[in-house]
Amino acid sequence: MSEQAHKTHRVSKTDKKGKGKAKAAGGFNERAFAPRSGIRADRQGRRKAEKDQTRLHVPQVDRTPDDVPPPVTIAVVGPPGVGKTTLVKSLVKRFTKHTLSEVKGPITVVSGKKRRLTFIECNNDLNSMIDVAKIADLVLLMIDGSFGFEMETFEFLNILQTHGFPKVIGVLTHLDLIKKVQTQRDTKKTLKKRFWTEIYQGAKLFYLSGVLNGRYPDTEIQNLCRFISVMKFRPLVFRNTHPYMLADRLEDLTPREQARLDPKCDRTVTLYGYLRGTNLRESAVVHIPGAGDFALKSVNLLADPCPLPTVESERRRKLSEKHKLIHAPMSDVGGITYDKDAVYINVPGSFSRRPDEEDGDNIMQGEGEQMVMDLQDVTSSLADGISRSHIQLLGTSSAPLQVDPDDSEGEEDGDSGSASGSQSEDDDAGSDDEDLSDVEADQEATGDRGRTSMRLHARAARGQSSHDAKQRADVEYADSDSDLGDDDGGGMLRDDNESELDLDDEEASDQDDDDGGDVPHWKRNLRDKASEAFERQHKRRKRDWMKLIYRSTLTPEQIVRGETEQEARIEDDDEDELFKFKSKDQMGTDEVLDQTKEPLSKEALAEWDDEEMLDSIRHLFITGGDTAQGDEAEWDGAEAGDDVEMEDAPEQTEADKRAAALAKKKELKRKFDEQYDDPEEAGKQDFYDEKKDEMARQLQLNRAEVEGMDPEARALVEGFRAGSYVRLELENVPCELVTNFDPTYPLIVGGLLPAEERFGFVQARIKKHRWQTRILKTNDPLILSVGWRRFQTVPIYSLDDHSIRMRMLKYTPEHMHCYATFYAPVSLPNTGFCAFNSLGSDSSAFRVAATGVILDVDRSTKIVKKIKLTGVPMKIFKNTAFVRDMFSSALEVAKFEGATIKTVSGIRGQIKKALPKPDGAFRATFEDKLLMSDIIFLRAWYSVEPRKFYNPVTSLLLSDKSAWTGMRLTGQVRREQGVKTPLNVNSTYKAIDRAPRKFNSLKVPKTLQAALPYASKPKVMKPQHRQTYMQKRAVVLEPEEKKAITLLQQMRALRKDQAVRRKEKQDERRAANKKKADKIEGAKDEKDKEKRKEHMRLAGIKRKREETGRAGGSGSSKRRKSSGGES
Amino acid sequence: MSAPRPTVLKYSGHEHLRTRLAMSLLSGKPLRVDNIRPDDKNPGLRDYEASLLRLLEKLSNGTVIEISYTGTAFLLKPGVLNGGRVEHDCATSRAVGYYLEPILMLAPFCKKPLELTLRGVTSDALDLSVDTIRTVSLPHLQLFGVSDGLEFKIKKRGAPPLGGGEVQLFCPVVKQVTSLNFVDPGRIKRIRGIAHAVRVSPQFSSRMIDAARGLLNRYVPDLYLYSDVYKGDESGKSPGYGLTLLAESTTGALYGAEALSEPGLPPEDVAQNAARALLSDVRAGGCIDRAHQSMVLVLMVLGSEDIARARMGPLSPRAIQTLRDIRDFWGTSFKVVPVDGDDGDGQLLLSCFGVGFLNSNRTLA
Repeated sequence: MSEQAHKTHRVSKTDKKGKGKAKAAGGFNERAFAPRSGIRADRQGRRKAEKDQTRLHVPQVDRTPDDVPPPVTIAVVGPPGVGKTTLVKSLVKRFTKHTLSEVKGPITVVSGKKRRLTFIECNNDLNSMIDVAKIADLVLLMIDGSFGFEMETFEFLNILQTHGFPKVIGVLTHLDLIKKVQTQRDTKKTLKKRFWTEIYQGAKLFYLSGVLNGRYPDTEIQNLCRFISVMKFRPLVFRNTHPYMLADRLEDLTPREQARLDPKCDRTVTLYGYLRGTNLRESAVVHIPGAGDFALKSVNLLADPCPLPTVESERRRKLSEKHKLIHAPMSDVGGITYDKDAVYINVPGSFSRRPDEEDGDNIMQGEGEQMVMDLQDVTSSLADGISRSHIQLLGTSSAPLQVDPDDSEGEEDGDSGSASGSQSEDDDAGSDDEDLSDVEADQEATGDRGRTSMRLHARAARGQSSHDAKQRADVEYADSDSDLGDDDGGGMLRDDNESELDLDDEEASDQDDDDGGDVPHWKRNLRDKASEAFERQHKRRKRDWMKLIYRSTLTPEQIVRGETEQEARIEDDDEDELFKFKSKDQMGTDEVLDQTKEPLSKEALAEWDDEEMLDSIRHLFITGGDTAQGDEAEWDGAEAGDDVEMEDAPEQTEADKRAAALAKKKELKRKFDEQYDDPEEAGKQDFYDEKKDEMARQLQLNRAEVEGMDPEARALVEGFRAGSYVRLELENVPCELVTNFDPTYPLIVGGLLPAEERFGFVQARIKKHRWQTRILKTNDPLILSVGWRRFQTVPIYSLDDHSIRMRMLKYTPEHMHCYATFYAPVSLPNTGFCAFNSLGSDSSAFRVAATGVILDVDRSTKIVKKIKLTGVPMKIFKNTAFVRDMFSSALEVAKFEGATIKTVSGIRGQIKKALPKPDGAFRATFEDKLLMSDIIFLRAWYSVEPRKFYNPVTSLLLSDKSAWTGMRLTGQVRREQGVKTPLNVNSTYKAIDRAPRKFNSLKVPKTLQAALPYASKPKVMKPQHRQTYMQKRAVVLEPEEKKAITLLQQMRALRKDQAVRRKEKQDERRAANKKKADKIEGAKDEKDKEKRKEHMRLAGIKRKREETGRAGGSGSSKRRKSSGGES
Repeated sequence: MSAPRPTVLKYSGHEHLRTRLAMSLLSGKPLRVDNIRPDDKNPGLRDYEASLLRLLEKLSNGTVIEISYTGTAFLLKPGVLNGGRVEHDCATSRAVGYYLEPILMLAPFCKKPLELTLRGVTSDALDLSVDTIRTVSLPHLQLFGVSDGLEFKIKKRGAPPLGGGEVQLFCPVVKQVTSLNFVDPGRIKRIRGIAHAVRVSPQFSSRMIDAARGLLNRYVPDLYLYSDVYKGDESGKSPGYGLTLLAESTTGALYGAEALSEPGLPPEDVAQNAARALLSDVRAGGCIDRAHQSMVLVLMVLGSEDIARARMGPLSPRAIQTLRDIRDFWGTSFKVVPVDGDDGDGQLLLSCFGVGFLNSNRTLA
């Protein structure tokens, strides 16, 4: 053994460590990557092209704002007892060092400098699963490794698929329960395989081993966290076109007294949360899945309770501890819990203020505790604050608001003041009378106390900006109004300066050239000629158009004429309605026509008589200057030359001019290049990159356009952006939503497009799910999940019949798509949906009944079903017959004149005219003579329309959320009420005894027969009565022949006998064998039975364990599907 | 059982009716208009308004129009815009331009491509003439990506009072209109014109062309004025003539102006009026023709959820009211700021955030 020589070490010829690397760094070695042969080059080229193609997908605009994106919604989904809560707790602990005691409602945490996450746990109710599938950006799909996939998991995946398929990460738990290593490995493998077929090949699947200290192992969670924090998301079409919000909490604003007097009264509620998707407009209509449609009463921007770190802190690489915030209003975080009608602050032990507060301490303090601390901190009362501010209650009042020192409402003031500062997202509810001075005072208070918590500072500041902007604006407008009253011109100027949105510099320049001094020469000439109208036009330039258009009561004509509100008010005092055009004195005049073309006024056109006037617009034509773009510069030059004084001139230094000229030159060069350069080179970008660039440009433009606008005006123009924390106020909400509120069920506010409020007949392409055992029947109620909505409706299934008609189907085809038409709210074409027979958890079967996509929306349908009208001949002429029993009146016949009819035997005909006697009889012609026994059919199409039945699934309004039942099938109702199906005697099947029909023989007249060609002649021959030769010949056998035949007969007889005996023997053997086999089978059965028993016993134990683990959870029974996980 | 009824938008008076009708049909919000000429000697809806309502009913499926007994109020419950082949005889009290203006806003959002045939007066003193519709309105619609298959044919001309004209509009269906970004008005590079004369001497049109040339020749050499004379059956039932002018800038901005024959007005004066009106429009500036401001504003709002920008000359009262109505229907306000710079005298920059209106009527079946 010891002699065995080891292989000597061979020094590598290519030095990988030193030289090689240095060389590679020196430059790109082309030869290293060049293909060695032509075939290889070809292969490489093809591979590259393929890779390029896989990279391509339809370019989509990502409307998520870059600066403050909304938190990423992460839903934790899985069967009960799989460890969802543990996972959420572990993740939250990992991100914020916070130990949650309970997981209720959404939990938002800051996970990085640019990312926040909202965790939401989805319970096992199908309604919750549907809602969560619609909002989740990432799904952590939890699978019990010791058990395998369950039915709910597959159902959830199907729901996900139809609603856009967000990202899914699988999490396998309970692997520690499998003791044997090999089994564990096999289980992992089979589960992974199944998971991959469901999601895609290579989908990420995490394995979590046992639980330590009520959490999953830190390293495993850390891995998962890393994955989550770097995950990229592709916008989903539906969410990219709809605004939505996952409500953090719900608050009932209904006056207590009203609710007490009438507990069932409709409530006013507010919902808080981060906006997601597209921008939400204030006038939007929203749908709360499980509750219904509501119009937004108001939307308020609130301070972000969980803000991203600000710029200065971003210099650091890591997120500092104090920015690792958490916001979970319903989960009892930091000793504060929000209920639907109360806020509970949990203060541990004593809470005396520590004089030496440090950052760390303060952060570790709970939110609630801090709140109470802040209450103690108020150094100044509301009265103080007001006395320091200069708020005027009315525009005309000269003195600012003052408060008597000995005001009896001192208590209340202090209350509201402190509340506003410390807890700004809550204060709108509590103290609506809060004002600017309040926050100022409070800020001061917080400032000099040195409370260094970043978060509170940010909140206070933001709270002020969002909330008081309105207030400020109001005050200012009032201000300017009063000024307008004093002096006209001056007032307008001031008005502009104050309430202009972002035009300060433009404004300044406008004012500069407005006071006549620096108006160009030619312009002054014009002004001399132009009369009042021109003056007005100038005046108009300085006006705040947004205010005039949107916030004044002036009529459009008045705005155009350049009147101010003041003037208008003088004109007609009693006018206070926006659309009141006609006053009494205008009665006599001509009516105002609704016309686009403005009548040509002679006077206005007369100004063009003047040559100078005609020349004055020369610069607007290409012939007016030398260059296409340089007209402004040139014009400026002309002005400078003509004018004596030019105020702008000194400001424009030489350098500026040169820079401007350079820029212009560049622009020109670019244009020239664009026109004359090689088009190939210019159009090098492919379609995909081009589109991407275009989108980026548009997004850039979007940002630039609204930048610098004040939040109020911005909200008017673009609505409330995704990522902002808002408070939505809803009215007329059913009281059950509040009384039966359960934070473990997600509350989603989905914005609706204008079209989606309407109803119509929606046509969809539908396919029964392949796991659904029964086909679907027309006019059976079906629960659909389309868009945000879940509702029950009654579809009619149909198929396109030769592109001529939509023909109704009684049942959906087994394995084919068909059309479904139902009455429902409009959804945009191409929206996916899934359908269910019931949402309850009472059946163990697969609940997704069908999936499909919306195709069309209309107000009427064109589905038909076949109907056959039958009639019988009343009287028969040659080819004409009178038919009765098909119609009941002459009118009906008239409607069908000309229709084709047919007998059962196939004789075709046509309806001609109604007969006077009996009602509904008609004359018809046929291609041949009928028999009295013929039955005549009229094949027609009867149009069917779906029932206008729409029943939203109002599961959130129930106390037991999974107990919603919609319309039931007749059979179901009968079964539940124990009613027997009524039986119509005429509908029962009976044996039909038909008398044999006797047909007369066909007789062709002799003359006709003679005329017929031979082939058509009836060839009737008499039966032969003489014997043929074959029959009558006599056969005489030779003796040896006879012998041979006899021998053959004997042999056959022997053979037969032998076969019979053999068969008997065989039967005997077979019986014996069977007996043996039966015995073995019986033993096997016995064994199987025992096995099953054992398995059921184990399952029972497991269930018991889960039930105890859930500790009074939803209480729904577990529905499982045996799968690969089970051995 | 069902969701709450959409809120009914209530307006008063007959003015600005067409934009409201169009927006109601687009947004699906029911519209109620009261006080339609309540104090007039002849109260209620006029024949042309009733005719327009009937046309909209033909154009859509499921639209319910309830007109009050006196005709001074009506309620429109909009249905689904259907499109397809539609024929309509317009009331001759207004030209077909009156009917076409709202139709142009609706046509791209129908279920099927629209093939609309309108019969009646083709040009009168009140409404945009068919030439303006063809040469100015359609290019404005093209700004929004509605171009493939957009066509307007003047089959017959018909002057007031009897009309007898026939026009055809073919409009494709789009999923969504593109966001407009049109802030550079450029400079006028060409002027075109169409002089039409029906049931009068064809000389009239050449006289108009000569007179207009006299005024416009000084500006651009690229000036072509066409004479469009219809004869026989195609010339309608009444005599009339007129001149439509349009100026096109280097960036594609269009300004249109027109003048029509009046009793006692020689063709030269008609041409002069048209040319001067065109010059007024050119002076007002902007990128959008003044008569098409409200149409452009509505289509801007319907774009994707991006900023749409357009520079316009001084707003017409119609446009201002349209801005207000847009806020009622779509909940969106425009940002309106004066254009800075010397050449932006009285011009405004209007920008809005589109509502992301998708054509829900479009069918995939």
